Amino acid sequence: MIKVRIPTPLRPMTGGKSEVEIAGKTVSEIIENLGSAHPGIKERVYDEQGEVRRFINIYVNEEDIRFLTGKDTPLKDGDEVSIIPAIAGGT
Amino acid sequence: MLAIPSSIIKDMIAHARELAPHECCGILSGSGGTIAEGYRITNILASLSEQDLKRFDGAKLSDLKRLSPEERSDIAFQMDAREMAMAQRDIRSKSLDLLGFYHSHTFSPARPSQTDITIAMEFESYRAKLNFPEPFHLIISLEHPNQPVVRAYRIQDSLATEVPIHSLP
Repeated sequence: MIKVRIPTPLRPMTGGKSEVEIAGKTVSEIIENLGSAHPGIKERVYDEQGEVRRFINIYVNEEDIRFLTGKDTPLKDGDEVSIIPAIAGGT
Repeated sequence: MLAIPSSIIKDMIAHARELAPHECCGILSGSGGTIAEGYRITNILASLSEQDLKRFDGAKLSDLKRLSPEERSDIAFQMDAREMAMAQRDIRSKSLDLLGFYHSHTFSPARPSQTDITIAMEFESYRAKLNFPEPFHLIISLEHPNQPVVRAYRIQDSLATEVPIHSLP
């Protein structure tokens, strides 16, 4: 099982949990299985083309998946996946 | 105290002026309490879908929905995640730390808004797990266009505390 960190805006879909345990051998499988376990999350992470939305970074441990092998990045037990919206703010 | 080379302060102000009335944003690298380099990051707010806007809290979300996508960038910013990741990678390759975030307030003072504080606390909730040091949050105000103001803050427990800036030659 892989520990997945859920950002604040998506926590209503995980019953308020900031971390969930999900099975999967790649980042892509984790997002699919996360979406099955917590409906609505996948659509908030992926855009209409199935790519990670432009304001979201996904990290495996401390590395952004864009510098690994993207959604195909393989995972092993003990890895942690973090879904992190990039910094925003406003007046 | 936060030490910043004057060239970086000038560039943040220039960035804010170039994008006005839209908000600009960027990140700062360095070590300890000294900034070494600035990275301009694209404010992608205008390209966010209604779905994407849900990453903002309730009050800000209502304000954003009332505006056209173009106008939304006047009152908020969203950093491009890919550019941010690339900058972070460059920072790491130079053995520096991601020390701060900056953005502009085009029409208001250089003080963190409620949205700034909420999102800073969101970052705070996962920062340590990703091994980022506590960041400084800088705001460039163009409220008085001929007298831009740059201020730095630490944001902890939903409170913003100003940190004096020391401009390095």
